Amino acid sequence: MKTALTLIILFPLLGAIFNVLLGRLFPRRAVELTACAVVWGSFAAALAAAANYNGPTVVEIGSWLSSFTLQAGITVYLDPLSLSLCLMITFVCGLIHLYSIGYMEDDPCYVRYFALINLFVGAMLILVLAENLPLLYLGWEGVGFCSYALIGFWFNKTKNATAGRKAFIVTRIGDIGFGIAIVWLFKLFDTLSITQVNQMGHSLPMGVITALGLLMLVGAMGKSAQAPLMVWLPDAMAGPTPVSAQIHAATMVTAGVYLLMRMFPLIGLSTVVVAAIAVTGTLTALYGATCAMAERDLKRILAYSTISQIGYMMLGVGSGAITAATFHLLIHAFFKALLFLGAGCIITAMHHEQDIFRMGGLRRSLPAVFWPFLLGALCLAGLPLTGGFFSKDSILAAAWAHGGILYSTLYLVGMFTVLLTAFYTFRMMFIVFGDRGTKTPPAPVQPLPGVMTLILLPLALLGLAGGLLNIPAYLGHGLLDGFMAPLNGAGEHLSHGVELALQGVASLVSLSGLGFAWWYYGGKRRKARLSLAEQPPTGAVAFLQAGWYVDALYNLIFIRPYKYLAAILWERVDEGVLDDSLDRMAVGLGRTGQSLGRWGGGRVSLYMLSLVAGATLMIGWFAWEVL
Amino acid sequence: MIVPLTHLIILAGILFSLGLICVLIWRSNIIMMLIGIEIMLNAAMLLFVAGSNHWGLADGQVFALMIIAMTSAEVSLALAMVVYLHRRKKTVNVDDLRELKD
Repeated sequence: MKTALTLIILFPLLGAIFNVLLGRLFPRRAVELTACAVVWGSFAAALAAAANYNGPTVVEIGSWLSSFTLQAGITVYLDPLSLSLCLMITFVCGLIHLYSIGYMEDDPCYVRYFALINLFVGAMLILVLAENLPLLYLGWEGVGFCSYALIGFWFNKTKNATAGRKAFIVTRIGDIGFGIAIVWLFKLFDTLSITQVNQMGHSLPMGVITALGLLMLVGAMGKSAQAPLMVWLPDAMAGPTPVSAQIHAATMVTAGVYLLMRMFPLIGLSTVVVAAIAVTGTLTALYGATCAMAERDLKRILAYSTISQIGYMMLGVGSGAITAATFHLLIHAFFKALLFLGAGCIITAMHHEQDIFRMGGLRRSLPAVFWPFLLGALCLAGLPLTGGFFSKDSILAAAWAHGGILYSTLYLVGMFTVLLTAFYTFRMMFIVFGDRGTKTPPAPVQPLPGVMTLILLPLALLGLAGGLLNIPAYLGHGLLDGFMAPLNGAGEHLSHGVELALQGVASLVSLSGLGFAWWYYGGKRRKARLSLAEQPPTGAVAFLQAGWYVDALYNLIFIRPYKYLAAILWERVDEGVLDDSLDRMAVGLGRTGQSLGRWGGGRVSLYMLSLVAGATLMIGWFAWEVL
Repeated sequence: MIVPLTHLIILAGILFSLGLICVLIWRSNIIMMLIGIEIMLNAAMLLFVAGSNHWGLADGQVFALMIIAMTSAEVSLALAMVVYLHRRKKTVNVDDLRELKD
């Protein structure tokens, strides 16, 4: 067991080290092969750990931080949550690595790419498996750094480098909250072991738990791109598409949700925190869905959909339904990786065109991408019987089961978001793949490497059949439900009738979203919408395209005052006061020295006069003393 | 005791001041400077002799004899140097002699 757990973490790290140090000396194939082999090796190790799994275990791999009462070794904790996430991460990342071979075929910087992406996987695995908070924080910052380096991978363009910095800085804002929470927990408990901290929550006053929970929520907001710190994610599309897939599906943005799930036994004690998590999630889900409705950039649509889906996961955590949130996290990883990799295929085939209104007719020219992408879209829209349908419904059902005015409202907002999700997903599908109403034949597409389209198939199947992971209670015993039962909060259990009714409502809502999309964008009306999109956006569309003007608002209330203050500190305080006073002091000393130096001009008479004056002074002094 | 000690001290003080002033202000000629130094030494010598006479001890007079010997040596040496200097630099102005500074 210990070997398997060590290897899970060690494989990607070794791959990263190998590629950093020796990657240049080996041929391209060797670098690609190493990068993929280590992740699949990690997957094999995770499978071995799963096969030997019998109950949660804590395994100490090595010692790390150890001084006085602070004991934070390299200790891993394997429980249903971390095990299922490990399997998902290594599997999805393995596929993304294979896809990267095709995607990065022409890029000269492939060594840096594969080294970073391996390190990314390694950091995420550390985060997921960590048993104590410092180790978790190590992984947390590791994925933050890797996402920064990979979003700004093509740093020659200012836009990409800025996007990387933005992601880094915004997530750091959240990390402040998380960092404070860690230090505070250590002060309270003298231990940072997650398993121990989670058991000691009852001894704390409720206010402290609420504050801790809110601080961790701030950390999760930054990492998982939740309102109000969601601004970095749409810009993070500047990186290579497989990186976007990895950030969105497996490694980065789910970390915040994971943290809240991991600490749920502690922070779940406070109803305020739980409600705050649920409200944040729901609002973000709504925000993401509305923005995606107006967005024109294919990858940014998917980015907004991620924000929205992560919002659902937060709602699941906030409803105390850890299983449902994990379920959605896993299914989302499959179909979002699928959608992003599919989008990468489309963008490569369209000669790096990302505006959906410039695409069209891809159903016939790219059938190998169309069918898997359609399955992914079905999952995202939550159409009945796909994996996404079951996972999203389990979250909404948990919110409904929670009861009360707040959670009922959240349920309704969530349900409305389902409608929007189906609408924007199929808007994208109709515009990108449809071709009715255009007379011209579709633009010639660039042929794709076989590996890129092939990867889509297993993900499509997993997304589609993912519902089997956790079938609803009226059909039998859910796999995840049984596996993860010990982690759940005190959730109400719905009768089968209510659950069926809720699923019926959800199916109706998502189908009507599809219907709206068809009514607005489908068939012959597509052409009219295309010509409409040529005009500059107005009113609500402009508002949504600018992401509710959140970026502009932050620019106004944070960035501009900050720059103004920085300018004052730089020009007035630093250059004006500090530099200037030092300069003046130096000039004054120089002048004093010069005037003193004139004394030593070699004139004997002046020396003589000075000697006499000095002697007179001394004699006068002695005389004064005597008298 | 014919002359009181105070008078001698005052005389020595006046002589010393005259010598000092001569050294300080007569810059244009180094020989005048040497003369000023000589006057100051003589004032000091007078003070020694006066003290020796007043306390009835021979030390002061011995010292005065030594100063006379030293002064004659010093003056002969210094004047020789002044002559040599004048031959090289064609000047006896003190302020023109500033090679040591450079």
